[in-house]
Amino acid sequence: MVIFLVLNGRARRRSFAALLVLCTTTNWAADWPADAMVDTRFPMRTLIPKVVVDSGKLEWVPHDIDLTAFVTPSHLDLRPTPKPQKAVYTPPLNGDAKRGRSLVMDARAAACVTCHEVPGEQWPGNVGPSLHRYKMQQRTAAELYQQIFDVRVNLPQAVMPPFGTMGILSDQDIRDIVACLQTCE
Amino acid sequence: MWIQWILALVLSAGAVAAEPVYRERVADEGLIVPRASGDSALSGTYRYWKNPAKLDARLIGDPENNWKLNWVFLDGPFNTDMHAGHLALDRGTKLFRELNTSGTFKNCLTGSGLGIRKDFDRLRGLRTVFPRYRTDLNRVAGLEEVIEHCARLERQELQMGSHDNSAVSMFIASYSNGMPIAIDVSGGEMKKSYERGKQLFFTKMGRLNLACASCHVNKVGAFMRATAITSPYADADHYPVYRDRTGITSLQLRFAQCSLVLGINPLKMGSRSYTDLEVFFTALTNGHPVSVPSERY
Repeated sequence: MVIFLVLNGRARRRSFAALLVLCTTTNWAADWPADAMVDTRFPMRTLIPKVVVDSGKLEWVPHDIDLTAFVTPSHLDLRPTPKPQKAVYTPPLNGDAKRGRSLVMDARAAACVTCHEVPGEQWPGNVGPSLHRYKMQQRTAAELYQQIFDVRVNLPQAVMPPFGTMGILSDQDIRDIVACLQTCE
Repeated sequence: MWIQWILALVLSAGAVAAEPVYRERVADEGLIVPRASGDSALSGTYRYWKNPAKLDARLIGDPENNWKLNWVFLDGPFNTDMHAGHLALDRGTKLFRELNTSGTFKNCLTGSGLGIRKDFDRLRGLRTVFPRYRTDLNRVAGLEEVIEHCARLERQELQMGSHDNSAVSMFIASYSNGMPIAIDVSGGEMKKSYERGKQLFFTKMGRLNLACASCHVNKVGAFMRATAITSPYADADHYPVYRDRTGITSLQLRFAQCSLVLGINPLKMGSRSYTDLEVFFTALTNGHPVSVPSERY
């Protein structure tokens, strides 16, 4: 930066051009691909399609969540998928099982019930294993924390999303869910 | 003074030569083949739905087992309900006639003079051979992309994924009702496109780090609450479709809607990735008859 400032006008312009080349050829900016539907004028920059009856135009409106940070199927997307991450868990658990239960049932939060059987729910999913009798299994809080934070560390081919690595759940969210799981009978 | 340039070039070259971007993939166990009958080995339900005229009506009313019919009971001739798909078909008929007053729109669609086989030089059967490589566009294109292109030549705007584009597509597809999808992905650009689409199908992405294959290969028939996970086979035959949540929906528009469920930012209609996926899913429908207008949830 200092070198950049002490250079004269012409050299400075040239440095700037060189920097531009560097930025466009490398992927340091880690931006979304050119064919992603994004509008930076909105706080939630992701756009979603809306079909307008009897119109030749497809309308695009802002989504209620910003998805620009995540990998898309675009061939132009050169951003890496976040690698499996080992969780840093510090005891004690300090989890609120009641709040955990609401996260487990909430489709906008952890939504565990979408794929797992949860005690007390009449119509759960069965993609993942049942969460009944988790209390009996007596798995440690650290183990459960890692499983929710990033399951890929232990099971690379698991379907379950890495909730911690992707920033979907906070540290306290995961602690609450672990507390809830430890009460499942 | 050229030191900045040299530095930039060296660093850029390093970035370009670096190893490919880190991606995770679901294991491909050879269960995905470019024909609808491939479902026999995947979900084993092909025998229930391969003949849309002979569905086992007893399965339909059973919420835990009706997924085994691959929702074919929502297509004609079984589904006799009046739904918005029929209105879109009427709209498409009207629009097509307006666009084709001089006959050039139809010639553009069928690709007269582009070296496409003569027997497809008419609307009948046209739907069954799309997506295909178009020499005028110099790329593989789906039917909706070609409709947008040909409408532009008639000075009309019919954006891919829009209601009217899908309506015209539905009108053209109605000429192929009952004819099996038959796209050739054995060589050339179509094969390359199919392979790229297949690669995308197995690649994990988005906020939830899921691939299509995470659920639609190994978990077919499992339930996500009340929703049964469907087979990836024989999906393209009933598009554009009327979906009660989103209206008239083309296959590429469906990809944008799928991606929202997985926390993926939608892409532009007609992006190369969506076209590759369209080729992939249409190839997985090979041999299954076209059925429009149809509805899905």
